[in-house]
Parts: sequence; structure tokens; C-alpha cells
Amino acid sequence: MTASMEVRVAGMGLFMPDFPTAADWHAQRRSAEPQLPSGSRLDRRARGRSSVLTKALAEAYFEAADAASVELGEGSAVFGSALGEVGTMLGLLNQMWRDREEPSPMAFALSVHNAASGVVSIATKNRGFTTSLGADHDTPAMALMEAIGLIAERGEPVVVVCGEEPTPTALVPDDESWELAAMAIALAPTRGDNETDCVRLRGPFKASATLVGSDLRAAVARNPQVGLLDLICAVEAGRSGTIALDRGRGGGWCMEVLCPDG
Amino acid sequence: MTLTPEPIAITGMTLSNALGGSCNEVRNALAGRESRLRPSPIEVPFETAVGAIDSDLPSLDGQLRPWSTRLTRIAAQLVGNLDAELGALRGRWRPDRIAVILGTSTAGAETTEAAFRHFLATDRLPADYDLWRQHTYGAVLHVMRELTGARGPGWVVSTACTSSAKPLATAQRLIGAGLIDAAIVGGIDTLCAMTLCGFNALGALSSKPCRPFSRARDGISIGEGGALLLLERGGEPIAWLEAVGESSDAYHISAPHPKGLGAQLAMQRALERARCGPADVDHINAHGTGTPLNDSAEANAISELFGEEVPVVSTKGYTGHTLGAAGATEAVLASFALTDGWIPASQGAEPVDDKIAINIATERISGKFRRVLSNSFAFGGNNVSVLLRAV
Repeated sequence: MTASMEVRVAGMGLFMPDFPTAADWHAQRRSAEPQLPSGSRLDRRARGRSSVLTKALAEAYFEAADAASVELGEGSAVFGSALGEVGTMLGLLNQMWRDREEPSPMAFALSVHNAASGVVSIATKNRGFTTSLGADHDTPAMALMEAIGLIAERGEPVVVVCGEEPTPTALVPDDESWELAAMAIALAPTRGDNETDCVRLRGPFKASATLVGSDLRAAVARNPQVGLLDLICAVEAGRSGTIALDRGRGGGWCMEVLCPDG
Repeated sequence: MTLTPEPIAITGMTLSNALGGSCNEVRNALAGRESRLRPSPIEVPFETAVGAIDSDLPSLDGQLRPWSTRLTRIAAQLVGNLDAELGALRGRWRPDRIAVILGTSTAGAETTEAAFRHFLATDRLPADYDLWRQHTYGAVLHVMRELTGARGPGWVVSTACTSSAKPLATAQRLIGAGLIDAAIVGGIDTLCAMTLCGFNALGALSSKPCRPFSRARDGISIGEGGALLLLERGGEPIAWLEAVGESSDAYHISAPHPKGLGAQLAMQRALERARCGPADVDHINAHGTGTPLNDSAEANAISELFGEEVPVVSTKGYTGHTLGAAGATEAVLASFALTDGWIPASQGAEPVDDKIAINIATERISGKFRRVLSNSFAFGGNNVSVLLRAV
């Protein structure tokens, strides 16, 4: 087991086509029609050019950062995705090899895994720390690990955002397909040993889960970032215990949730 | 809070690129001032020079065969180079306390591109193509874990051209926080048509070998390669990882801030974290891509912070820009100054642009180098400066 430290949950965010915010998810207030992320807080030009994934990650980021009162121009952020801008990449390959055209320069610039973190840092005029990472189904656990290292080092809040585009159908079999989802959780240093008014987390570490993941539709449950949604659900439910961050498809990383009354 | 991190011991390092498949081969090529930028072996509808790996790469056999791609074969070559050092590392630390933190910008794009072309021709993907084993970040992580025995946390940073510099900062943080004891860090990128065509579409690619900081510079040359460093809480260091500065430009997705503000901030943060000043740095391995804008912005940032004395080299005229592998590759190249007492000439820089008001080393310089800085800047306005110190 890897040593771990405690942090507190300062805010959460989410974007899914049926539940455009964490508040909607919490209230199980389903949209009448599936929504696309608007990217409303991004610059106008970036909003027009960015992928669905970038806009979904941005929506989740801003909701969590606002809930945690993170100073947008200064806060640190960790973005995670298994496949990242894979739709943009496939678009480039189509242009090059199907249409025999020169690839779009802007699409190429926005095909990088850190497109969302770059676009958000531009929108928030943040010259601080941002990163983008991936580890397949362990992405949520590893993004949390990166965030906890940052909190240990700097003693400041970090927003963790993980998301995945809808399945790239050319590359993934239908029975493995998933839907768009992006989730965010803002973490902050604990304020003392006797902190009892907020949910705290400890981990990530390898263990057996004692909490069961949420009951989700298969197309949501198959999203490689669903572990962060399970963590958010456990925090919202106010139940203490250990929650798996990979639904059994990764390395077995878990997070311990410590609720005031849980 | 720990704003001045403890220096971390670098106990092993290796690299592979157009100059060679080991530190010694690369050293010898640098000493001989041999650029290995050549016409692209990948078919593209324009002229360009690239830095391709010529050395034979090991094959992945047995249970790892389904994960075999050019990227993972470079990984296997690097791990093979560090056999003895990794053995010692495993002897000192529990496997679950050793992290693997890599960087790449391409991941398995080269393999997916080939699979996609097969799909267009036949309406089906190749029978042996598997996205999760040949394209994703988890694929190279799996191979690295199997080859090294590391069982701690593992992830791949993908922040374009800073991808493999950031793992050094992460490892220092995680070791400092007591979350791990050691880390295998670095990065790997391979050549593919999408990268070449993309940079060409941006107007950033040179048709000839790149000439960073030269008056005649007109773009980058893409390279492929990889580098690994072993970082530990203790051990016998080759050099120290003293501090890493990280920043964002918050300016433009693919163009640098014209005055290099984000770049300057990254360098400044590295110095502040190490509690040292500009005068304490004896050499800078610049990002130095060879595009007019990038080199001007970086030179401005260096000049503002360091003045005009510190010798600056771009090694991309030898290796090409290895993108996601550049940060780790150039950290290793910069460390040669600490261990060997010389820096190579900045290949292709003559005649240096009159507007570049910093000391570009146009000849090899020998001397005592105590501290060196290695810069990496990326799309998304992502900036990293790695500060290394001699033992």
C-alpha cells in the first residue's frame, strides 16, 4: 500500500448530457433533451473551436472551482482522460487519408491531450500550474494522486477534472461503447485534526472497496472515468468507507471517504 | 508548506534518439558535432528533415507481444540500457513504492494511423490492432511495469512538448510528500505522418534541418526518441534534481507569449524553489525549436532573467524536436555538462540572429558546470524548467 494523506472535499462539478451540472445530478433532475456542453465560460473563439470533451471538462471544472471558491486566476488544476481528444485525432486522420487534404492547423493544435487545460488556463488568465494525464481506467486515481502531491507541496486547493468523449466508434467495439461524461472534484488541505464539518478523503491506495459504486446505466458505467463519478456519489451520499476508482478494470486503486456522520 | 523541495538523487539515466541508442553513443555524436537530421523516411507530400532512430529496437515477445509497437520497443530499449541501475533500485525499494511517470504526446498514434489506413482500404481494422494495448497511455505503462517490476502509481503526462519534463516535478513532489520512494520518469515519442503534416499545416516545419537561434531559422525538424531517469530518495547520485518550475502562458493555444512571460515565469520559479539566483546557473539547454517566434520569445525570457552571459544551447539541431520526449531527453543532455564538463555547440545557429540578445554557444565549451537549466515549452502555453545540480 502506498502511504497516503488526508484532504478535504471543497467542491464538485459534473457534465453529462442528461445531467448538465452536479446539482442536477444530485437532485436527479434529468434534462428534457440530452445537452451538449456550451463552454460558456471559454473565450468566444475557443468555444467555437473546442471539442465536446474540452467544453465538458471546462463545465465540470468551473462548477467545482466555483463551489470551492477557488481563485480562478491562481488555482492549480489536474485534467485526466484516457483517450483525450481522440475524436479530433480521427478527424485529422480522415482529412489526411480519406479526403487527401492537408489537416486543419487549428484542429491539429487542439488535438493535444492538454487542449482543455490550455483553453481553461487562457480563459481564466491563470499562469499557475496545470497538467493533463492519462492512465486508462486508472486515470481518476492517478489524477487524484497528482493532486494530493500538489496539495502536500503547496498547501493550496487543486481541482481534479476527468472526462471522456463518447466512444470513438471506429476504434472501440459497440459492446464496449460509452457516453460523454466529465466530473470534477476540488480538493483542499485539511484545516486540522478535529475537522468534522466536511468530507475528507484519504488515498489513493490499493485496497478492497467497502462501498458499492452507484447504479448507473451501462453506457455511463463503461466510461473510463466513471471512478470519479463513483467517488462523487459516495461523497454526496455521506457514507464513510472505501470506494473503488476503477470499477475493477484498472489497478485496484481506491479512495477512503471520511464523512462527518458517515 | 514545502516550497523549497529536497533535491532528489538521479541514480540512472539513458536515452535513445537519432544520435544513438545510449548515453555514450549520443555523447560521442554531440562531441563530433554530428547532426543526424535526414530526409523523412515517412512518406509526406512535402520536403522536411527528421531525426529518426536508426538503432535496432528490441522486440517484445511472449506475453508482451500484443503490446508491441515502435513506442513500446523504444521503451524496452531504454529499460534494457538501465538493467543494472534498475536492479539496484529494486534492491533498495519495495516495488509498490516505485512509481512510473512518463510523458508522451503521440502515444501509439503511429500504430493507430497505420490501423486507420488499413480500415480505409479494407473497411476493417487489422486483426491484431487493439486500442488499449497499442494506442493508449496504459499500454506503455503496462509494458514499463512488466519490464521494470515497478508496482507503484503510474501515469502518463501528455502536455505536448512539456510531457516528459513534468514527470520530474511530479516525482519530486511525490517523494517529498512520502507517497513514493523512487520513480522511473521520462518520455517517448515516435514519428508519424499526422505530426509531420500537422506542424506543416501550422507553417512551423522547416524543409531542411532546423537551425535554432540562427538568422536563417525557418521552422522545426521533428524527431523521435525517448529518455528515462531514475529518481530516488537517496542512493548514489549521478546528479541532483534540484527544482522544477512550471507555469502557463494563459495566452494562446499554439503560439508562445511574444515576450516569453510564461517561459520566464517557469525559469524564475525553478530558481526560487531552489533558493538560488540567475548567476548560479552555468548553462541553459533551451527549448530552441527553430521557429522565428518561439526562439525570439525564449531568448527574450532568458535575457530578461539571466542577462547575456550564460551559455545557451539548443540540441534540436542534432536530434530534431522529439516533442513529448524532449523534456526528459534534454534534461539528460543538459546533465552531461555536469558530469562531463562540456557543452556542445548549438548546431545550425550560425549566423546567430542579431535580435537574439543571449549567449548562444556556437562552439563546444569546456569548463566546470555546477548548475544547468533545461527548458521545455508546449502547446496550451505549458512551460517547464528543470534545474539540475552537480554532485
